[in-house]
Amino acid sequence: MDTPTLAERRAALLHAGALVSRSITSILDPDVLLHRTVDIICTAFGFYYAGVFLLDETGEWAVLHAGRGEAGAAMVAEGHKLRVGGHSMVGAATARNKAVIALDVGDEPTHFKNQYLPLTRSEMALPLSIGDKVIGALTVQSVEEAAFTEDDITALQGMADQLAVAIQNARLYSENARLLAQATRRARLLMAAADVGKGVTSILDLDELLHKMVDIICDAYGFYYAGVFLLDETGEWAVLRAGRGEAGAAMVAEGHKLQVGGQSMIGAAIAQRHARIALDVGAEAVFFKNPHLPMTRSEMALPLVVGDEVIGAVTVQSEQEAAFTDEDISSLQAMADQLAVALHNAHLLRALEIAHAELVRTKTFEAVATATTEAIHWIGNKALPISVSVQRLREDVARLSGVDPEIVESMQEDLTLIEASARLIMQVKEHLIGPAREYIPAPVMIEDVVKDTVRVMGIVPEVIHFTVTPDLPLAVADPTQLSRAFRYVLQNALEATEDCAAPCIDVEIDLVEEKGVRYVVTRIGDNGPGVDEANLDKIWVSFYTTRGAKHAGLGLPACLQILKQIDGKAQAYRRPEGGMVFELYVPVHTGSAAQGPANLPAGKRYLLVDDDDVWSRFVEQTLSAAQNTVTRVADAGTVEDFAVFDVIVVDDVLAATDSLAALQRIARAGATARTLVVASSVRVERMMDLLRFGVRDVLPKPYTPVGLAKLTL
Amino acid sequence: MKEEVKVLLVDDEKLVLRSVEKSLVRAGFDVEAVGDVTTALALFKETIASDTPFDIAVLDLNMPNFEGEVDPTAGLQLLSKLLEAQPGFPVIVLTAFDEVERAKEAVRRGARAYFVKGREADLIALIERIIQD
Repeated sequence: MDTPTLAERRAALLHAGALVSRSITSILDPDVLLHRTVDIICTAFGFYYAGVFLLDETGEWAVLHAGRGEAGAAMVAEGHKLRVGGHSMVGAATARNKAVIALDVGDEPTHFKNQYLPLTRSEMALPLSIGDKVIGALTVQSVEEAAFTEDDITALQGMADQLAVAIQNARLYSENARLLAQATRRARLLMAAADVGKGVTSILDLDELLHKMVDIICDAYGFYYAGVFLLDETGEWAVLRAGRGEAGAAMVAEGHKLQVGGQSMIGAAIAQRHARIALDVGAEAVFFKNPHLPMTRSEMALPLVVGDEVIGAVTVQSEQEAAFTDEDISSLQAMADQLAVALHNAHLLRALEIAHAELVRTKTFEAVATATTEAIHWIGNKALPISVSVQRLREDVARLSGVDPEIVESMQEDLTLIEASARLIMQVKEHLIGPAREYIPAPVMIEDVVKDTVRVMGIVPEVIHFTVTPDLPLAVADPTQLSRAFRYVLQNALEATEDCAAPCIDVEIDLVEEKGVRYVVTRIGDNGPGVDEANLDKIWVSFYTTRGAKHAGLGLPACLQILKQIDGKAQAYRRPEGGMVFELYVPVHTGSAAQGPANLPAGKRYLLVDDDDVWSRFVEQTLSAAQNTVTRVADAGTVEDFAVFDVIVVDDVLAATDSLAALQRIARAGATARTLVVASSVRVERMMDLLRFGVRDVLPKPYTPVGLAKLTL
Repeated sequence: MKEEVKVLLVDDEKLVLRSVEKSLVRAGFDVEAVGDVTTALALFKETIASDTPFDIAVLDLNMPNFEGEVDPTAGLQLLSKLLEAQPGFPVIVLTAFDEVERAKEAVRRGARAYFVKGREADLIALIERIIQD
């Protein structure tokens, strides 16, 4: 090939310069620009190799971004880089911001001997700089020694300068594009946040709100799945309430739930109350592999927190690894917080609606109950004289003479019918008005109240069996009303078992907790025929009875009313082995058992006439601990000298004897003025009977040390 | 003894009033049955200085008070006024309500006894015992 003339060479340089200029202005992709530039330089100048280095972020290394031919491609692939200021011409050019030219590389101390470019004899390294700022270098290599003329150097430096500006422009263009994309995404996220905000304030239906939320998240962020879990009533499970697409619908339909604190990101996020993010789910220890979502590669679980309370969590999943930016996480958590508040408000609204409905129901019930009570009271008063009138008529009939005996018999029969009807009316009155009578809630020992009720009812030990959990806490109830409730259920059990060959009533007293509330529950089971499953829900309804016309069907409704009055509850179910079980729940007394300083008397000699039971043991222990002397006897007949006692306390309900017999003996000893009678259930007529003996007072049984302090004179 | 015992019976419920009156009269008591507290107090005061004062009073608890309004404490109010007029006068409070605290309140105000309506036979025995005491 002929050597080009100077004119031809200059024409080629001008042409190359024009091509580079055109590329620079038309190519915005930096990689394409650099590759085109090295190609143009090599073609136009006939050089063996050209390459473009750009400084990395640290500014310490010049990294090859484009290189001519296979050698260049191989070096780019290898990540070929030269240290700025290091032992290479590129290193020197970038360090000095000055062209370094070796017309014979063998003489150049800074020449880097490159295995890919073994034929290089001349090399020129031109800095790529904008003003004082070096951004890289252009290397041009030739197989000939002294290959670069002054014109070449001038032309190539001009190209290098143009290239530096172009690279800077391309970089700015890329940055602008990135910022634009970011701004667009931010605008989309803001719109999504606004949609969520609008949704939470305008959508009243909870399910609709949750579905809208997952759709907004997926649409705005481009994630393939989102779902919302809410805690169930136990707080132990997070239940999926809304999920994106068919997978979500299928999981909701299946009742998909995850255990709080279990092996899932949702479970962990709720238990730990902070976001759980897996940029690669394969590496996440608590990731739950969901067959409905096999493509998940990244997952984020955001807790729904209101104040100190976690009410659920949002899951967001992507098919890509490391799909979540910091911005995604913070904006999604903000959205989750907004949703949590909305859900909390929805719950509050629902609770308010329920409370309102309950208030209306209660007020209605109160109004009906008041009207009913007044009506029943009125009817009862009108019917009250019937039985007394019947009694007088019986006396008159008995005195009749000269009357046909059949007529007398018929009159007696009619009187019996009238009397039975009057008794039923009075029974209805008692059931309906009884629960509305005096209601003075106080700490009570359920075991004592139940056992006293059983004794007063005369239920024999052969029929009834007790199982009592030790160390039960006190419950809170009006003991007289509570005894009435137990009596209704025990009477029910007695009547249910009256045709049984071996009647059996099992009473179990236990402690249970439901929804954070502790109850002392009394289960009264019988081996009677039981109530049909279909009629179970009717037994609490007034006037429903399965036992014929002589029953008013008011005992169980009255029992339920008494328990509701103290925030307790009652329920019934059939026993698998036959018969029924009634459960009576009485809330545990939440105050201090002592309720303040007891101020118990000290140095007193107490005589306690009572059986060895839970209450008498409490009295003995408490009074003895206060430096009193307590002597307990089950039978007052065994006491020889009542005068030695300062205070005599008699339990109205005794297993072996009637307390009236004990009082007679105490009265004979002249000690009634120092005697107090206690009863778990106090009734007026009984109280008048007891007071007749001249006892100091008749008191409800105290179940706390403070109450015991009243057992003094 | 019974022929000499004069009972003031007060109850606004006419059927109950008449029934209790019949039972007491049959038992031999001299009964003045009155349907309101104002008349009862006036009658009681009238007879205090007479030759035939009342020996005992049996009062309903829940009836219109001195202002004519239904009041569960009307009987207690009448009780207080009777005892004010004649301290120590024996009174039995009679009511259909089986309420312990109200019974104790009646006793605290000076009633000798508290009795649940509908058991006239026991009421007669109670009156006899109080009179004997």
